[in-house]
Amino acid sequence: MQNVVFGIVTGSILAVATLGFALVRQTENFLNIAHAQMMALGAFVGVVLVDTYGMNIFLAGAITVIGLGALGVVLSAVFFQPVRHQGGTVLLFTSIGLALMMYAAILALFGTQARFYPDVSGGLHRFAGIGIATNELVIIGLAFGSIAALQIFLNSTGLGRAIRAVASNDDLARVRGVPVRTVSNTIWFISSAFGAMAGVMLGVLGAVNTEIGWHNILIVLAAAVLGGLRSITGVILAGLLLGIMMDVSALFIPTAYRPVVAFGVLVAVLILRPEGILSVQRRKDAVVA
Amino acid sequence: MTNPIFWVGVLTLAAIYASLAMALNVESGWGGMWDLGIAGLLAAGSYCYVILTADPDLGMRFAPGLSMWVAWPLSALFTGLVAFAIGAPALRLRREYFLITTLAFAEIIRQLVVIQADFTRGTLGIPNINRPFDSFVTGRDYNYVLLGIAVVAAAVMYLVTRQVGISPFGRTLRAARDNEAVALALGKRVNRMRIKTFILAGVLIGATAPVYLFYIRAISPQLFAPGITFTVWTALVIGGLGSIRGGLAGAFVLIVFTEAVGLIEVDPSHINILVAIEPFLVGLLLVLVLRFRPDGLFSERSAFGAGNRAAGRSAGDSRPAGAAQGSGG
Amino acid sequence: MELVLDTVRKTFGGVVAVDDVSAVMPQDRVTALIGPNGAGKTTLFNAITGFDPPDRGSISFGDQRIDGLPPWRVAELGLIRTFQTPVGFTTLTVRESLLAAATPHFAETPVGALGLSRKARDHERASGDRAEEITAELGMAELLDVRTDELSAGDRKLLEFARSLMAEPKMLLLDEPAAAVAPANIGRLSQLVRRLCDERGLGSLIIDHNLSFLMQIADEVHVLDRGALLASGPPAEIAANPDVMRVYLGEDGAEGEGA
Repeated sequence: MQNVVFGIVTGSILAVATLGFALVRQTENFLNIAHAQMMALGAFVGVVLVDTYGMNIFLAGAITVIGLGALGVVLSAVFFQPVRHQGGTVLLFTSIGLALMMYAAILALFGTQARFYPDVSGGLHRFAGIGIATNELVIIGLAFGSIAALQIFLNSTGLGRAIRAVASNDDLARVRGVPVRTVSNTIWFISSAFGAMAGVMLGVLGAVNTEIGWHNILIVLAAAVLGGLRSITGVILAGLLLGIMMDVSALFIPTAYRPVVAFGVLVAVLILRPEGILSVQRRKDAVVA
Repeated sequence: MTNPIFWVGVLTLAAIYASLAMALNVESGWGGMWDLGIAGLLAAGSYCYVILTADPDLGMRFAPGLSMWVAWPLSALFTGLVAFAIGAPALRLRREYFLITTLAFAEIIRQLVVIQADFTRGTLGIPNINRPFDSFVTGRDYNYVLLGIAVVAAAVMYLVTRQVGISPFGRTLRAARDNEAVALALGKRVNRMRIKTFILAGVLIGATAPVYLFYIRAISPQLFAPGITFTVWTALVIGGLGSIRGGLAGAFVLIVFTEAVGLIEVDPSHINILVAIEPFLVGLLLVLVLRFRPDGLFSERSAFGAGNRAAGRSAGDSRPAGAAQGSGG
Repeated sequence: MELVLDTVRKTFGGVVAVDDVSAVMPQDRVTALIGPNGAGKTTLFNAITGFDPPDRGSISFGDQRIDGLPPWRVAELGLIRTFQTPVGFTTLTVRESLLAAATPHFAETPVGALGLSRKARDHERASGDRAEEITAELGMAELLDVRTDELSAGDRKLLEFARSLMAEPKMLLLDEPAAAVAPANIGRLSQLVRRLCDERGLGSLIIDHNLSFLMQIADEVHVLDRGALLASGPPAEIAANPDVMRVYLGEDGAEGEGA
């Protein structure tokens, strides 16, 4: 049971990260490999603000999330906007290039030494024999709070509805006069901010090292694919499921296998459920060609 | 700066990356299979070779201590087998999902290497890998031998992949990449061909793995992080995806460029910057090439001479946007 | 040998696209399949060629059941189709496209790529000659080394046809072969389709909107309307059929298209 709780914490963080990733995938139509480097950057910026400048963790977190959200908007304008017309594959490879550059920047700025947030666990609570630290409760709360906020934003504001229009049908949205530029900037801000937030949360729970990005991109991809990339609920469930599976599996098999479990689940889903993912679409492609 | 041994090393590494990029081009450039699992195949080939040839005294659970000349072809075949195991299920997926699956398989392989420490020594790695002819040539001169081996390997790779590219097999492969439905309607067994191509790429990468090990000298799992896959891809994209010489040219440009920048003298206190230079340059080059020359240095068009003979009809045309990256199936 | 459809049915989410169609199409005759847009002609093609198998009913070619077979297997049996939208092998030249269509399976393996087989080399040479012959007959000999994505839509349409001839067909399934083709080339096309049938016994099943083209070359015409077979018979009979007239008059512009 204890591991299920760990899994829920991991899963909430994963859901936040994956939601940011899926948002870009749905609206800009490519897999943004650089997303996980935004998580790593978030973890580092947060730790520097807290550890080096002695900032309060919540203030540091807020600054990190807003700052990196803005950075995401700038990066999208510099890197992705100019090659947008070349299609998804060029965008995907551009994102790999950007991921490498961000990784290099992290190495150069923060060095290869692992860093740690000061202990902010805030004591252990016990419910029926299951322990959960205050910071874990706060993380779960913040994760679901921001997901709910995003949900409300997408459903009840004009801009949110425009984003959903773009996500469901880009061309139509363009024709109907949706402010594409504003929508795009908003998406990049939200996506990067969510990535950075997940990064700070990961950092608070563990060590901050330069490899965070590469380690997490696959887990994010796995959650995104599991969740079907489309529905917010799907992504949340996939994130939680994957988080719980990774942490619960630690009871039966060595913890070293933890990432293998995530990738194994991903591969199994892709291979066992190809019907849902591709078959109808592929037939359509074949006949149209 | 003028140390010749340094440049011998750079050229050796470039030749190794060139071999990998040319192998990748067969499956991705012509086959249209966007494989992000190069690192996994390279790991499979490398560990197969290392385990088969390892010194029994290292205490690994399985150490037959085979001769390197036996282990080399066996590693190539084993990697082909691994490629088949990955490709058979993964090739049923559409491109984006195929890409994720290959990336995931590569990570699974790497994690398995870490976990199965009984066989692989896990994160400890294996030092002092035996190299061919090192009993005859020793010391610094051996670097020239190594360069020779890498260049010969790259040359063989060039000839083999070129033959594949210009053969009827390569032609059908490109046809199926351009339009799967039409290929099927002509009776082409597209999926079977793709699996064969994937296995071929595995064999070629597995055959390159020992050369990589001779250069690296010590093996450990972190060599096979996704970074190496991205470097090989960058080399191929720079050189020109789908062109016969692309991988060769791209790898030399990329490696010589990144290694030469490493020569800039940096104050030891800025060691972080030195570590960061390589990924930064690889990323920057990838971004710039995609933006300003998406066809790469050599385009696929130049590789197959398409359109050149049709007077006036295509001269000077550039490929339409979107087709640049080997237009999808 | 004949292509036989027996109560073939295909629905898409409750909409019946092909409604219990039964028909016999001799392999050595020219059969036309006409009907207004949305009548289910291309759906039927997709069902026959394995791209979108029927929900019900059976399809056979000769004594072989072909419904449920994958497209490449149907093609291997000699039923070669073309596509309405002629995209083709975009980056291959006309010559390469034609040669690719003719390449036998035994040459399409990594080992075959080494080019050691004499049989494969002879096959390749013979195919090269045939490619030149066919393009000459279709009046596109000067386009042999032009890339497919640089051809005009009409030339790509002719390439679709030429390519299917290279694949050793026993029967052709042509989806709007005359659409977008220049009038002069339509003449060549219909002559060729007719001659292939009369001289070599290579029949076709043709969908087109250009009725004058079809009526000239077809031995037999089937009319589809909203998925069901409305009438079958020789061209003269079909032209005089009041039901067919009504279906066509009810839809404007169908007859003029592609002429």
